Amino acid sequence: MMAAPIGHYLALAAVLFFIGVLGVIVRRNPLIMLMSIELMFNAANLLFIAFARLWLHNAGQIFAFLVITVAAAEAAIGLAIVVATFRPEKYVDVDEVSALHG
Amino acid sequence: MIGFWVLAAILVASAVWTISASKPVYSVVALLLNFAALAVLYITLSAEFLAVIQIIVYSGAILVLFVFVIALLSSGVSPFAMGPNRLPKIALPAGIVAFAGFAFLVYAASKALMPPARVGGPVGAPGVFGSVADFGTALFTVQLLPFEATALILMVAVIGVITVGGEQMREPPDARRLQARTDRAMREAILREGKG
Amino acid sequence: MASVTHPLLVALWLLPLAGAIVCWAFGPQLRSAAGWLVSAVVGASFVLTVLSWGSATQPLLSWMRGFEFGLLLDPLSLLWTLVITGVGFLIVFYSIGYMEGDRAEARFFAYMSFFVFAMLTLVLSDNFVGLLVGWGLVGLASYFLIGFWFERPTAVAAARKAFVINVVGDAGVTFAIFLIFAHVHAIGYAATFGAAGTFGSGLLFAICVALFIGAAAKSAQVPLHTWLPDAMEGPTPVSALIHAATMVTAGVYLVARCAPLWDHSAQAQMLVDTIGGITALAGAILGTSQWDIKKILAYSTMSQIGYMMMGVGVGAYEGGVAHFFTHAFFKAQLFLTAGLVIHALANEQDIRKMGGLWRRMPFAFWAMLTAVFSICGVPLFSGFFSKDQVIYGALAHGHPWLYAVGVVTAGITAYYMFRLLFVAFLGEYRGDLDADHLHKPGWIMNVPVAILVLPSVAIGAALMSGGEASPWARFFAPLFGEQNAAVAAPPISEGATSAIVFVVVLIGFAIAWRRYATEPARRDAPARLEAESRAMPAILTNLFYADAIVEALFVRPAQRLGDLCGRVLDPQVIDGVVRDVALWARRLGEVVRSFQNGLVRAYALLLAFGAACFIIYYAFVGVGR
Repeated sequence: MMAAPIGHYLALAAVLFFIGVLGVIVRRNPLIMLMSIELMFNAANLLFIAFARLWLHNAGQIFAFLVITVAAAEAAIGLAIVVATFRPEKYVDVDEVSALHG
Repeated sequence: MIGFWVLAAILVASAVWTISASKPVYSVVALLLNFAALAVLYITLSAEFLAVIQIIVYSGAILVLFVFVIALLSSGVSPFAMGPNRLPKIALPAGIVAFAGFAFLVYAASKALMPPARVGGPVGAPGVFGSVADFGTALFTVQLLPFEATALILMVAVIGVITVGGEQMREPPDARRLQARTDRAMREAILREGKG
Repeated sequence: MASVTHPLLVALWLLPLAGAIVCWAFGPQLRSAAGWLVSAVVGASFVLTVLSWGSATQPLLSWMRGFEFGLLLDPLSLLWTLVITGVGFLIVFYSIGYMEGDRAEARFFAYMSFFVFAMLTLVLSDNFVGLLVGWGLVGLASYFLIGFWFERPTAVAAARKAFVINVVGDAGVTFAIFLIFAHVHAIGYAATFGAAGTFGSGLLFAICVALFIGAAAKSAQVPLHTWLPDAMEGPTPVSALIHAATMVTAGVYLVARCAPLWDHSAQAQMLVDTIGGITALAGAILGTSQWDIKKILAYSTMSQIGYMMMGVGVGAYEGGVAHFFTHAFFKAQLFLTAGLVIHALANEQDIRKMGGLWRRMPFAFWAMLTAVFSICGVPLFSGFFSKDQVIYGALAHGHPWLYAVGVVTAGITAYYMFRLLFVAFLGEYRGDLDADHLHKPGWIMNVPVAILVLPSVAIGAALMSGGEASPWARFFAPLFGEQNAAVAAPPISEGATSAIVFVVVLIGFAIAWRRYATEPARRDAPARLEAESRAMPAILTNLFYADAIVEALFVRPAQRLGDLCGRVLDPQVIDGVVRDVALWARRLGEVVRSFQNGLVRAYALLLAFGAACFIIYYAFVGVGR
């Protein structure tokens, strides 16, 4: 199957990444924020793999593999923190957790 | 080419749905759709092994984790936002600049080209680009150090989760205080009885 | 530091400084012994001066090329040094008696000794900067001594006025030094006078004008004269030493010293002698309207210095300097005898309240009489020789108007000096004290007066008679010989001049006699004095309104400027700048602080913003290698 020009993949990854950023900034639910972060990871992965295909070098694929691993670890810890912080709270809203204000 | 466009549309749509869903569970479902489409895209890019890894790890492990946490926090789930928006006033101009940057990037990126060639051969055979054999060989020879480092990261993650979330395993403080008070009362009672 | 080849010279210069330091340091312990100490010190300086007779140069310090400091002893500075130490010794000795019992005797003698040192620095320096140092220190000593009784606000004000006017003079001398150095690149007299012909008339005139501003301020010439009458607030010995014999003559010294400069600039000479003439006349006229004995003497000092300036201004340097010499003696004598009277009358200085003292204080009367004869230029007394030299010199150098001014002033001088004598000593006593039991001054005060009688009377005859062959002329030949040679014979001879002056003096004496010494006149002396004073036109009594002009031009604008600074500049501008800096620092801090709002999303936004900036930058500039 023919792949699209590399520019298209670049554009797609950029769009996905930006949507992820938007999600982090706009949404106030910490779980949605974490999911947006996963979106950003995936956008980066897409780029790695696209360029691996461009240059027929598998280092990109390996790196994408490592990214997936790290994303998993990070998601685990992030969720643990979310649970620890928001268990006693009434609303799951990151804006309320502003003890560092000032 | 048409495959790319279809997949791209699904990817973008599901991403937007992820960040804008009213309930977190909807977001998880949308993310699942996103990962699936991404896996298909990987296959079109001759990264079959990674496509499978993507399904297994991402959709199978991480998203499940998300679902568990949603269940745990279901008592405090909130839709879009509650209370006033407390972002500083600089948010809007900064956001516009960020968007402009990315938009520009998208535009610039969309001009480059990709060679269409693919090394022919069955998937999985060594010497074929994107095959498992090639992947494994590289992972355990050339890229051994990052591989081991990843193992370390996973272990750190496990320890971290236990440390952060492990508080919940111990007894609640009230029970301990209650226990201590009871112990003291018993001791005094024994002493009184001993005297009298 | 150069080697000391003339130890006596250096010693006589530094001894008074040592005396001053000792008196300052050990004032409370010394008390009245301070007077004896300082008298001994100044007397020793006098002896050393006599021993150092001759010419000498003593280089002291070479700072850099063009700035060599040292001492110079030549006829001019030797003469001044003799007067300073000699008359100074007599006056200091006199003040042991005059200041007896004063609370701060030691401080007084410290100041007197310091003054002597400063004056010696002024006249003994061989360079302009040393002169300027002495100039300033003398002004400082004068300030100390005029304001000695500082509990009196009038004394303090007078001291301040004297100092400020002197500073104007200092500025003039400083500016002249700048101009000289710019041309000659040295400050020594030898270098400057050697190059006197090369200055160019404009530059030379500017230098002479600047120097003369200094001289006029120090010597109380019009228009910088207003401080001298007020300076009489100081004790009488101070007036005798500083404001009669020595400090006020520093201007004359300056002009005489810079004779080579003045010889090359006819316009500067005209400036000096015109001002001198105006001052001589004005001082004499103002002297006729006073009734404070010290103020009369102050105006007479101003007038006589006008004569000296006239003398050195026209080029008759010997005559001007001669008049300084004789004036030192008879003016000191006049002040000291006035001090005898003031002391006896318990600080009464108003001559309207005196009278009939010639019987009760005969010594003072005869002493003052001799001095008055001398100042009026009665023939054969000292003043006669020197004053006639000046007046004749004016004509000889081609200034007939100044000649006339000199003659007329001599008459007026005779009038008011004799008037002083008659009103203070003749007639009946008009004061409030018990005239028969006056507190007569002791021997300490009488001895110097007695000693001064001789020079006041005779020194002119001794030194200056004989024209070109006199000891005086021979003494000054190395310095001023060439000036005398270039003079043509004027229409009126010297002898005729003396006769004219004598006649004028007699006229003045006669008028004074008729108005104040005859039997009926003696009785209403005060009324006559006051009537005369009222008849004076206002412009003269207000000293040509000089004070008012200074007040309007300088004092009030300065006060307004100070007020502006205090009310507006300081609190609003300067403090305001400091406050505004702090304010903006705080505002900036608050802007930065608004980033720290504890919101995770805001931080994430900033991250995204920063990343976007990086991306855009690298998209345009490129990553590089």
